[in-house]
Amino acid sequence: MKDPDLTKIDGIIASVGKSPDKVLPILQTMQKTYGYLPQSALEMVCEKTEITPAAIIGFSSFYDQFRFTPAGEHTIKICLGTACHVKGAQTVYDAFKRYLHIPEGVDTDPEGRFTIEPVACLGCCTLAPVVQIGDVIYGHLSTDSVSKTIKDYLAYYKARKKRSVKAFKFPDISGVISGEVRVGLGSCCQARGSGYLKQAIEQVIDETAIPATIKHVGCVGMCYQTPLMEILLSNGSRYLYTGVRPEDAREILLKHFRPRGITRRIMPVISKGLDIILNAGEPTSIPRYAIDKREKHVADFLGRQRNIATEHCGSISPTNIDDYIEFEGFQGLKKAMTDLSGDNIISEIEASGLKGRGGAGFPTYLKWQTLSSQPDKERFIVLNGDEGDPGAFMDRMLMESYPFRVLEGMAIAARAVGANRGYLYIRAEYPLAIERMTDAMNQCRARGFLGENICDSDWSLNLTIVAGAGAFVCGEETALLASIMGQRGMPRLRPPYPAQQGLWGKPTLINNVETYALVPWIIRQGGAAFAQMGTENSKGTKVFALAGKIARGGLIEVPMGVTLRQVVEEIGGGIAGGLKFKAIQIGGPSGGCVPAHLSDIPVDYESLTSAGAIMGSGGLVVLDETDCMVDIAKYFLEFTQKQSCGKCTFCRVGTRRMLEILDRLCNGQGKSSDLDQLEELAHQIKQGSLCALGGTAPNPVLSTLKHFREEYEAHVAGHCPAGKCKALIHYRITEECIGCTICAQSCPMGAIEFRPYEKHEIDHEKCIRCGTCKGVCPENAVIVE
Amino acid sequence: MINLIIDGKSIRVPEGSTILEAANSLGIKIPTLCFLKELQPITSCMLCVVKVEGRKNLLPACATRAEEGMVVINDDPVVTSARRTALELLLSDHAGDCMGPCQVACPAGMDIPQMLRYMADGRYNKAIKIIKEHLALPAVTGYICPAPCEKACRRGQLDESIAIRLIKRCAAELDLSEALPYKPVVLPDIDKKVAIIGAGPAGLGAAYYLQREGISCTVFDDREKPGGMLRYGVPERELPRSVLDAEIDQICSLGVVFKQQVRVGRDLMFEDLLHSFDSIFLGIGKATSDDLETLGFDRGQKGLKVDNETLQTDIPGVFAGGDVRKGLKLTVRSLADGKKAATTILQFLNKEPVTGIVRPFNNRMGKLESGDLSQLSASAGNSERHHPINPHEGPDKAQASHEAAYCLQCDCRKADSCMLRIYAREYGAKATRYRGKRREFVRRDEHPDLIYEPGKCISCGICVRITEQQKEKLGLTFIGRGFDVKVDVPFNKSIKEGLAVTANKVVKACPTGALVFKGISDNKN
Repeated sequence: MKDPDLTKIDGIIASVGKSPDKVLPILQTMQKTYGYLPQSALEMVCEKTEITPAAIIGFSSFYDQFRFTPAGEHTIKICLGTACHVKGAQTVYDAFKRYLHIPEGVDTDPEGRFTIEPVACLGCCTLAPVVQIGDVIYGHLSTDSVSKTIKDYLAYYKARKKRSVKAFKFPDISGVISGEVRVGLGSCCQARGSGYLKQAIEQVIDETAIPATIKHVGCVGMCYQTPLMEILLSNGSRYLYTGVRPEDAREILLKHFRPRGITRRIMPVISKGLDIILNAGEPTSIPRYAIDKREKHVADFLGRQRNIATEHCGSISPTNIDDYIEFEGFQGLKKAMTDLSGDNIISEIEASGLKGRGGAGFPTYLKWQTLSSQPDKERFIVLNGDEGDPGAFMDRMLMESYPFRVLEGMAIAARAVGANRGYLYIRAEYPLAIERMTDAMNQCRARGFLGENICDSDWSLNLTIVAGAGAFVCGEETALLASIMGQRGMPRLRPPYPAQQGLWGKPTLINNVETYALVPWIIRQGGAAFAQMGTENSKGTKVFALAGKIARGGLIEVPMGVTLRQVVEEIGGGIAGGLKFKAIQIGGPSGGCVPAHLSDIPVDYESLTSAGAIMGSGGLVVLDETDCMVDIAKYFLEFTQKQSCGKCTFCRVGTRRMLEILDRLCNGQGKSSDLDQLEELAHQIKQGSLCALGGTAPNPVLSTLKHFREEYEAHVAGHCPAGKCKALIHYRITEECIGCTICAQSCPMGAIEFRPYEKHEIDHEKCIRCGTCKGVCPENAVIVE
Repeated sequence: MINLIIDGKSIRVPEGSTILEAANSLGIKIPTLCFLKELQPITSCMLCVVKVEGRKNLLPACATRAEEGMVVINDDPVVTSARRTALELLLSDHAGDCMGPCQVACPAGMDIPQMLRYMADGRYNKAIKIIKEHLALPAVTGYICPAPCEKACRRGQLDESIAIRLIKRCAAELDLSEALPYKPVVLPDIDKKVAIIGAGPAGLGAAYYLQREGISCTVFDDREKPGGMLRYGVPERELPRSVLDAEIDQICSLGVVFKQQVRVGRDLMFEDLLHSFDSIFLGIGKATSDDLETLGFDRGQKGLKVDNETLQTDIPGVFAGGDVRKGLKLTVRSLADGKKAATTILQFLNKEPVTGIVRPFNNRMGKLESGDLSQLSASAGNSERHHPINPHEGPDKAQASHEAAYCLQCDCRKADSCMLRIYAREYGAKATRYRGKRREFVRRDEHPDLIYEPGKCISCGICVRITEQQKEKLGLTFIGRGFDVKVDVPFNKSIKEGLAVTANKVVKACPTGALVFKGISDNKN
């Protein structure tokens, strides 16, 4: 290993600062510089700054983002989000480790080529299971596609290294616009290759000089159909293409636009280089067709939706401030600046009935009021963009697609409560969101919507972006504030609430992304208009990430009060593959499972809580009959257990003990007394926890124990009814076997003897129950028992 | 000022006070582990949780500020059960024994590791004090005890158990050879008389410990000399009579009166004893129903009915122990019975509830994995063991001291002051309620004055906060997150470097045995 170049430290300190609260950005810059945090470099930082050794080690070891050993040449991020989990992410993870010969307890193969990193959620739930290698996302993986995937990536990597990146330039087509091509560029669209699609479109436009402009738009929500490409012609006609591959761009564009000039002749030559990327970025072939919005599944998908936070979805450019202004952007802020006092703004919010969208559902106006009544006039505003629930990516989508709206909401809130400084705390796993928010902030400053003298007033608001460093618990507001101040993200007792004593003891307003994103509409249209939507106690709309065993997954915004069944069956198109709808998991690791027979309850805070779930931040994962509820409970508990900050006894040790009980159940070592202990411990943890992480961690267990107790009892008896828990099942080859040998060839453990034209058998001793044989069998002759 | 109610009592406290402070001024004790007055509360242990009316969850009293009209409930089954659970969770991740396995195995409960430390240090006069706390006839048992302690000794997993019995014998014989052997403090006479029937090990044990309490003991025995089966059952070659005589002399020297060749039921009526003594202890050894009948017990009973915990018989004020109870064959067990009876008789005489000896709470690591074992053995003697000690002659002083140094010192140096243990006992916590992965046992002894055993750490952060507050250059810090969080010196530096100025403070403040002083202190504090 090379010694790290310590001369770079001075530069890092000079650019970031020396005070103790700079520890987060300093470490992030160091990690970017060295690829990890070398001890010698850390020691040097302590010598040259006000950061103490105890602080730097305490801090850096708390956050997942930081590593203390060099990483491999390539990083494979394996998504273990909820949607990926229910589609077999763990077996894929195991298969990668096996294939790369990565031993237990380490994350990098002996040659240092690949580092494998489980991540909570890549936010591509509709492509589950998903991995990201380098900057390429592969979706719909299975255990038998691991070697193919790695080879494909290496080929892509080699090719890209050779190929010089071609710079695209926009053709000068001012005045003769005859159409607009819109491409969705949310992370999920990009994950499915929309970035490459955009490049391809630009290339076609560049080469053919067709009279088209390309506009990138935010997330349309129809993640199940991505990448999407919409063509708007000057004659008013619109065409929506779904599942478009980059190589299709030319054909589609040339169908609608007539090329000008002679450049057309050279085009076949240039397009060659892209093929590798296309294949790499394209996980499976999917049916592609032009649809218009009248088509039934689109109408169903969009029909019940109501776009407030996602207003103008699919039409508005995320990064163009003029576009935002054109779509009524900053009217709310202007109104707040000129027509309304701080108290007026708060009254409007009160009238709207808005509750915090981060999960707990605390009335927003109350928080704002508390803040504005504080004697201390130095106040902060903070954006909680540390969305960490596996299976939830609403906030990411809002920040990527509507950054101006989020900022406008923050500005209005800051105006209402009299804050002049603030922070946007966005998790580092959302690089695109950080990029877009930074870009939008700069544009806002340049146009006088942020910074000094906002809208020509004497009021100023200065915001700073802080990239979170990978700790789910920092979604808890007091932990988030601690993190901003350069401390370990450990929640503290409230009161005092942040609204009373937040950042550096000053009153601090902290709201979730979606909450802020709703504010401009409320101020523009009035609180009453917002309150007209929804139910008695839950007003307005809610954005959900819909994923799991559903036909049409994606991001949706629906009025409060629609029923879960409507969401699953109408918007989501029911269960994929004709299986039975079993339950819907709401609220991620803090939430619970609502069984299918109770799914007629409306989506509002009270109904969900009474069903044992919570609104949470908005992840909806649909489960079918092949999902084991004990396994689901274990999955979530494993997540919270890993994410516990470790401060309080009940959460630190208690969740671990609960997880161990669940482990025993899933391994067939459970006893019936375990269920009582599990339940008792769950209640103790709930009532004895200080923060929401610990207080809600037992929810997935309690709700499944409540609604699916018979499944737990079956596990005690040594049986997994859904056929999921590896220790309780085995695979068997039936008489249907035609002796094609595919299973024998695919089995990673050699547990199936190669016997052409004979019925194959599985050696249960060798079998690791990875399910590869079942996946590859063309005759469906492998069954789980 | 703020008015609030705790357990039905009203109190006025200054604004900003916590519930804990309010409770303290009312004299209501709320348990805490992670709280230290000079530091900001961290709310880690959650032992101080209380109920607050109108709040769904329990709240940590150390950090929750009192509010006007607040109604706090501390004395409540929900609160107690939450505290017990918190303790049981901490114990499930606590890698350490309160008492060494040897002490647990010893029927008399002798603090063997402490005795061995003194012996290793050549201080047998200190060792004998520890020994005689629990054992009235140490030299005797040094000859004939089957030494269950040695079977439990962890060193046996490694090479060979410590020769505890012989070391103890050496200590006891060295003491006996003094002009003035060790004599425990005898409390002033409290004007109570106890008759002890039988001068065997049980009776001798009872006499030794009762007399120390200022109670006049008279031992009635039908043989010529005291000692019971020790004298009339054990062959001389196994137990030299000179040793027995010397130790009985020690008991005599406390003031115990021996009435030999007196058979109760023949020479003296049991009834009369009941009248003229405040209490009676029966240490008559293996007894037939005839024997029992002559003492006034019902014929036809199968043996004597004796409560196992208190050694009380059916007759008020009459206690019994030793071989008279079924199946107690070991001398050391009979001696232990005598000590136990001394405790309960004292309770009886003081008109206190007769509860027997409360079994000390004990967290135990059980059988060790090789990793834990090598940590334990790292700081103990590792050179070639002295062999052999002649089992007949026993070790001389130097040999005993050498052998004692091989003790792994499994016991906790803070066994008596550890707050986790104290509260575990108070709340009836069961150390084994929750099973699962626990910390590994690690012993760090690079610091000259202290030992750090992170396996016993409860992550309360007191030491971390002290080093931060005292501006320790390196200090201690939390490393990692969640269940695996550890407390250590940054940059893998030694404890010595980490605790340059605060060593004394952090050891004193650590609520468990994770940080302890080196060397031998007279008590485990």
